[in-house]
Amino acid sequence: MQKTIRGSGRRRRAAGAAALGCVLALTATACGDDGSGSAGDKGGEGSGKGTITFWDNNGGVRTDVWKQIIADFEKKYPDIKVRYVGVPAASVQSKYDTAIQGGGLPDVGGVGTAMLAEVAAQGALEPLDSRISGSELSGKLNDKFLDSVKSAGGDGKTYTVPTSANNGTLWYRTDLFEAAGLDAPTTWTKFYAAADKLTDKDKNAFGYTIRGGEGSIAQALDAMYGQSGITSFWNGDKTTVDDPRNVAALEKYVALYKKDTPSADVNNDFTKMVAQWDSGSIGMLSHNLGSYADHEKALSGKFRGIPNPTLDDGTRVQVSNPVDGLALFKSSKNKAAAWKFIEFAASHASNSKWNESAGQVPANTEAAQDAWVQSSEPTKLAAEALNGSTTEIVQLPYYLPDWNTVSKADNEPAFQKVLLGKESAKDFLSTLADQLDKAQADWKQNH
Amino acid sequence: MITEIAPAPHRPVRPPAAARARHRPWGEVPRWQIYLPLSVYLLFTLVPFYWILLFALRPAGSTSLVPWPVTFDHFHKVWTERSFGVYFTNSVYVGVATLVLTTVVALAGGYALARFDFRAKRAFLLALLCSQFVPGALLLVPLFQIFARLHLINSLASVILAETVFQLPLSMILISGFIRNVPYALEEAAWVDGCDRFTAFRVVVLPQLRPGLIAVGSFAFVHAWNHFLFALMFLSDQSKQTIPVGLNTLMSADSVDLGALAAGGIVAAVPVVIVFAFIQKWLITGFGAGAVKG
Repeated sequence: MQKTIRGSGRRRRAAGAAALGCVLALTATACGDDGSGSAGDKGGEGSGKGTITFWDNNGGVRTDVWKQIIADFEKKYPDIKVRYVGVPAASVQSKYDTAIQGGGLPDVGGVGTAMLAEVAAQGALEPLDSRISGSELSGKLNDKFLDSVKSAGGDGKTYTVPTSANNGTLWYRTDLFEAAGLDAPTTWTKFYAAADKLTDKDKNAFGYTIRGGEGSIAQALDAMYGQSGITSFWNGDKTTVDDPRNVAALEKYVALYKKDTPSADVNNDFTKMVAQWDSGSIGMLSHNLGSYADHEKALSGKFRGIPNPTLDDGTRVQVSNPVDGLALFKSSKNKAAAWKFIEFAASHASNSKWNESAGQVPANTEAAQDAWVQSSEPTKLAAEALNGSTTEIVQLPYYLPDWNTVSKADNEPAFQKVLLGKESAKDFLSTLADQLDKAQADWKQNH
Repeated sequence: MITEIAPAPHRPVRPPAAARARHRPWGEVPRWQIYLPLSVYLLFTLVPFYWILLFALRPAGSTSLVPWPVTFDHFHKVWTERSFGVYFTNSVYVGVATLVLTTVVALAGGYALARFDFRAKRAFLLALLCSQFVPGALLLVPLFQIFARLHLINSLASVILAETVFQLPLSMILISGFIRNVPYALEEAAWVDGCDRFTAFRVVVLPQLRPGLIAVGSFAFVHAWNHFLFALMFLSDQSKQTIPVGLNTLMSADSVDLGALAAGGIVAAVPVVIVFAFIQKWLITGFGAGAVKG
């Protein structure tokens, strides 16, 4: 039989007192001064010297090029040291959120327009309008990118210095198109014709791979507005996503699923989609410039990347892609040094170096003229599309704090239902429109 | 004289074929009925592993279904260029330190739970169990603030402490189950022989706890080795990061180097596989004894 021992009352009291002491000590250490680096901290200009911390919002793949830029910066400003922290892209939002609440924000951080509203709404970012206008960057930043950044901030202020933009790209296999005697899919009509002609299910060959998993909504919106020709996301206070022309466009687009695409596409996130396209016999893939290097490794000389197809009259309508940028955090104790780093990173040489490595469109207009942009066809075409007068860009409402929830968690499963034929495109867009109208109304109430 | 006629020996009646099939002992089941489903299951389980090996060992851009020609470029890349050598070392520190701390504290706590009777013991046990339902993400901000006050942010100690705290409740419950299974009379006998409580515990109880210690230690190590969130949030310097965070950095917002990711995945998985291969027997005994009999 198991025996137990009851400790003496004296011992128990001593143990209780010790435990209580520990609890009080821990409570005291936890609830004391809330330290620095949280959103409420106003920071200061500082001496312009010393160490600053920089969080890269796409750490890992871009680490090497950032380290080069930091080395160049420290050579130019030997009295400033930059502590680089590479944060995985998928976790950067939660890392910022935790630091905003708990402290430990960096001096400078990469913040794309897709999450700018959420970070700015928590009061963590310093408005940069006056700093930009008084700096060497004034007049050298792409106006459209600046507009995107201002719009995404939610209150008309500029919270990041734009560094690069991505763009929706239609990647297609030149070898398969040539073998089938097809023209480049420059218009939507040619796109659908090619998707049909390149599909031969018996040979496991498909014309297109559709994105049905994570990230599907933005891509569907791009295809939808591109075909409908509607150029604005809002008509007054109501969204245009459920406009009958958009409904028709989406119906046509989702009809590709299984007819001209693999059936597994219903779960496609960008990783699966890109891997599938790089290793299979699929004619076309819609993804941004970011996968250029992956295609080059797998399909060198057998593919091209062109901007989204146009309407038959040559008009191109596309949705805005996230613009990446550098933000100065309010809590920084050394804003002078932090701003020097931002200026340096967005300057001609550094911006060119970074974008050449990433294969994206430089925000610095001088960098956009560099030779590498002209020799990298997908980047050059994307830059022309972004800046061209025949391209209409539908600005997605990144400024809505609910945008990420609405365009991802709330509706991606519903889009899968549309692909599987369990929900109509009309019902899907109608629900999406209701959610967006409500989010817009809520936002307007607070602004 | 009374004689009894012995009954005629009972002649076993052979059951009908259908009944025989229904009651066939395991030993008589045709082997293919065992091996076929197992083979299908094994294939189903191993295909993803083969796929990881394939991507890790074949050259970038290859679409071959066999890893030939074999290349170790991806391993070289992740180990040197992507700092997996550093991440690996950090993960070993975190894993081993969590294992040691968890085991030592769980031993002490488990002994108290098993051998002492104290007020609100049941409530305490319930609280230990309930703590398992609290997700780590919920405590991130308070933990971050506590570690910041203690100047432990960006130190491996923060991750080790957080992992240990989260491992302790279950480990204590498991260890206490093991200790209850060691007869108390053995300890009493040791006391009679002149041992103090600690010596009796060390000499008599501890050797009986080997399966439990291995189960708890390995569980703590593997959990700390694989855990991503605390390392991501509490560590900033690249030189302090651990393997799960390193793996995550191989996936950018719009591009994934699948070869490097597969190689990194193998680097991350090998220690765990080795640990489980060596301790499998103890682990099953440990969890069975601690959880069921406890």
